Amino acid sequence: MNFFARFAQNRGALVGLIILTIIILMAITAPLFFPESPWRMLQRPFLTPFEVDGFPMGTDTMGRNVAAGLMHGAWVSLLIGLVSTTVALLIGLPLGAIAGYYGGLLDDALMRFTEFFQTIPSFALAIVLVAIMQPSVTSIVLAIALVSWPPVARLVRAEFMSLRNREYVEAARLVGQGNTTIILRQILPNAMSPIIVLASLMVATAILLESSLSFLGLGDPNVMSWGYMIGAARTVIRQAWWLSFFPGLAILLTVLALNLVGEGLDDALNPKLSRERS
Amino acid sequence: MKKTLTLVITIASLAATFAWAEEPRSGGVINTVIQPEPPGIIAGVHQNAPTQMISGNIYESLLRYDTDLKPMPQLARDWTVSEDGLTYTFYLHENATWHDGEPFTSADVVFSTDVYLREMNPRTRTILSHVKSIEAPDDHTVVFTLKNAFGPFMLAFEAGTMPMMPKHIYENTDFRTNEANNHPIGTGPFKFESWDRGRVIKLVKNEDYYEEGLPYLDGINWHVIPDASSRAVAYENGTIDVLPANSVENFDIPRLSELDNTCRTEQGQEYFSPFAMLWMNNREGPTADKRFRQAVMYALDREFVRDVLWNGLGKVPLSSFGSNASFQNDSLPPYEHDPERARELLDEMGYKGEEIRLLPIPYGETWVRWAEAVQQNLQEVGINVTTQSTDVGGWNQRLAEWDYDLAFTYLFQYGDPALGISRTYISSNIAKGSQWNNVEGYKNERVDELFDLAATAYPDEKRKEYYHEVQEILHDEVPVGWLLELGFPTIYRCDVKNLVTTGIGLNDGFKNAWFDR
Amino acid sequence: MLYARLIIMRLLKAVIVLFLIVIFNFFLIHMAPGDPAVVMAGEAGATDAEFLNQLREQFGLDQPLYVQLWNYVSGIATLDFGYSYRQQTPVFDLIMDRLPATLLLTGTAFVMSLGLGILAGSMAAARAKKLSGSLIMALALVFYATPLFWVALMAVMLFSVQLEWLPAYGYYTVGADLTGFALALDIGQHLILPATTLALFSMAVYTRMTRTSMLEASQQDYVKTARAKGLAPGVIQRRHILRNALLPIITLAGLQAGQMVGGAILTETVFAWPGIGRLMFEALMQRDYNLLLGIFFFSAALVIVFNIITDLVYGLVDPRIKESS
Repeated sequence: MNFFARFAQNRGALVGLIILTIIILMAITAPLFFPESPWRMLQRPFLTPFEVDGFPMGTDTMGRNVAAGLMHGAWVSLLIGLVSTTVALLIGLPLGAIAGYYGGLLDDALMRFTEFFQTIPSFALAIVLVAIMQPSVTSIVLAIALVSWPPVARLVRAEFMSLRNREYVEAARLVGQGNTTIILRQILPNAMSPIIVLASLMVATAILLESSLSFLGLGDPNVMSWGYMIGAARTVIRQAWWLSFFPGLAILLTVLALNLVGEGLDDALNPKLSRERS
Repeated sequence: MKKTLTLVITIASLAATFAWAEEPRSGGVINTVIQPEPPGIIAGVHQNAPTQMISGNIYESLLRYDTDLKPMPQLARDWTVSEDGLTYTFYLHENATWHDGEPFTSADVVFSTDVYLREMNPRTRTILSHVKSIEAPDDHTVVFTLKNAFGPFMLAFEAGTMPMMPKHIYENTDFRTNEANNHPIGTGPFKFESWDRGRVIKLVKNEDYYEEGLPYLDGINWHVIPDASSRAVAYENGTIDVLPANSVENFDIPRLSELDNTCRTEQGQEYFSPFAMLWMNNREGPTADKRFRQAVMYALDREFVRDVLWNGLGKVPLSSFGSNASFQNDSLPPYEHDPERARELLDEMGYKGEEIRLLPIPYGETWVRWAEAVQQNLQEVGINVTTQSTDVGGWNQRLAEWDYDLAFTYLFQYGDPALGISRTYISSNIAKGSQWNNVEGYKNERVDELFDLAATAYPDEKRKEYYHEVQEILHDEVPVGWLLELGFPTIYRCDVKNLVTTGIGLNDGFKNAWFDR
Repeated sequence: MLYARLIIMRLLKAVIVLFLIVIFNFFLIHMAPGDPAVVMAGEAGATDAEFLNQLREQFGLDQPLYVQLWNYVSGIATLDFGYSYRQQTPVFDLIMDRLPATLLLTGTAFVMSLGLGILAGSMAAARAKKLSGSLIMALALVFYATPLFWVALMAVMLFSVQLEWLPAYGYYTVGADLTGFALALDIGQHLILPATTLALFSMAVYTRMTRTSMLEASQQDYVKTARAKGLAPGVIQRRHILRNALLPIITLAGLQAGQMVGGAILTETVFAWPGIGRLMFEALMQRDYNLLLGIFFFSAALVIVFNIITDLVYGLVDPRIKESS
């Protein structure tokens, strides 16, 4: 069975993939449907959904089009999720690889460092980092990456530790390949599967983290994200429930989709014997 | 016959109810909120708004001011001003006492003004710099002799600006760390009872208050509820009777005002006259060009903000002087919302789309929305605006270091231009480290000269001339953007009578308030 | 004997880690723009350089950074966490005042999520091939993906605003002045919404983990042997499968418990719950250095303590570890 067949066997993963595709399409086609900036104050505030043509989700406290915000926000969430995960990988991969491959004192030191980082509550640390760097897309991405890398390092280390004693690695050493080459060409490709699965889950977590920060008012004020929309709607929840409802639903579906796809990838890349799946 | 009888009875009973209703009754404890929890409750030590609100009920000054900012007696029962405006004589109440029983005398006044406030309060320090000497010819008379005539001097005797502090407690001690700061002793209608940190500050009636029959209330409880929505809920379920100005989000005000037994007043802010402005960095960048600043004024849709964000409360200001400030020049042509004109000005000056940073006030939802609205207004006329998000610490820092292009702020105009307006425009007030001086870096010699002359001119007609001229100049040069004269309503139960009777509202208003229950 | 040495070693390590965390956080926090003097001056509405300097001197902020660090660290060594400049109260008192609220909230959420999670997970495992099992797992997945602050808002809207069943904000009814049992009941009512929303995510995690764990355990040899011996399925479930399935759950629980303070920040903010999560956020905004550092210290200490407890419990439950040590 090839990769796609195994993936497709998990129906949940298929659903997830469909949802994810819809959201990506939303992000891409947003300028088509809503060419105006979602920050434009176009109508009366607090319009209910469908009250006026062109405003299927109503307007917010300033008369801005909620549907426009929702679609433009998709792009923001996905972008931040992807970039921060990438940066976290760029930090965690090298650290984990070195610790797992070389072992000994280096491993000890790096693992102490990782543990140290994990002792500080991650959300609190993220908040402090954003406060220091002052909120902007860059600082949010960095803050998320800086609190998310420890699990990557741990996973990579575990993989490298179990793979470094394989025969093909021995063989490579005998042939005279340098350590860096072995790490990059021999072990890493074989360790990729669980890393990919972890990455997909990390994108989901990053999106949740970003929306939490924006909700608290620590988001980039020039960028309309879903978390920001919910935060802005918090004080007017009595008058306009739909302002919090739709963006939250969007986050829920995106994160759900990413998790389902992650599980599908897990099935496809790491087939285990007699796996019980419903 | 029957009709006449009914009429007579109706009139009689109406008259009776009116008479009965108007007669203040003693008793009752008011529950209100204080936000944020102040660092202290002595206005001498801390000058922020929540401190002043509580302190004004414990400490008093020589005078009070009504909603037209006319002086009324307080610790001074009478006063005279000399013909030349240089000598102010105050005759004090003879039977006023401190909460610990010691008599209040002129020695306390001299100590409070000459020693205590000069050291502790920067704003009072500036006012007192006009004073040559403070003398107490007898126990109940104080004479202030000024170096030069200073029109606003009469307005300075307010509970937060010039509170009277007990000499017998504070003399020769470290004012900030004196033990007595934990149990404030004033002369006011209410005494300090307890402070349960994070929960409630309690004041009780001063039984030995020198004004007969006052206060009517038995006490005031200031509850600490950190969340605006919770405060609204507390009012709705009857726990709280009075919501002071600025204690609930603007979006909740219409809903709360419609509740049963709920009244609302916009009075009580006249002394402070909160005025929202936009600092524009006069030193560098496109904002240094007068045409850019004028373009900003034309680009702003101030009516929209007043209606959508402030529930129609407040006023769109004409220019630099608010409508509560004395000597406002109302013949100036207003800056209407005119995006076309804004674009013309930008073209004229050759604005090339340089990035302009906008700094919002980090104190609540309304200000964040306001920054978004302004950003939109400016982008519509082609100004490339980026909003910088920052928290309280960062905002203070940036302003103090002049690291901004456009920045929101709001200040108090304090009624007289010499007290609260000139500080924004005179060049001697340009100094790093403060968010309240001439932060924009505006320098105009004639403006300096006019403000200087006007402060010490005498009588008022002379001052008016100078102030009118200075407003013309400022109106043309637009050193800062004039956004909105803020309207902060106080929301309260209708059966709390006589709540806001002074220019500082609740800060000293509870003295005359009573419960009609 | 061996155990005692283990614990002492861990405690020593813990002290070193805490020390490093204090230093790290100290420098981190001072990197944020502004300081408490600037913030307080900002609220005064009128200030000059003299006023700022007076404040800075009062707070000891005019001294060089390493002096301030030394003062702080030597203070901590004697359990003196310093003074909150803003609130004019010792930091320790402030934290102790708010800590119970957070512990109550996170403790309740923890117990709820663990209990319900394990229950749901075992049910799902037992009904692995049936619709009800799938339904449970689907629900768990949805809870896992839901943003905490959003579900909190939706809960407030539904249960407080619309249905008016539960209070929306706060810890107790302000001004009601209740005491004793009535107060406990009042607090309990206020606790329901925040604790439930906080528990949802963890509950989902435990459900999924328990199910996977139990399914894997049921594949093991000793289970097949037990079945062959003819033991009742319920007995097998409880005595064999559950016990071994619990191991990874315990590890996870330990990790989660340590992270409780961070998660509480959002819940406490939405529900205006007066705990240290919220206090931390406020202290950060006000640049109240001492208070912020104190809170970080306590959170880190909690995490470390939970890690140690987890290891101990793990050792107790897993017979293989006991044998090897």
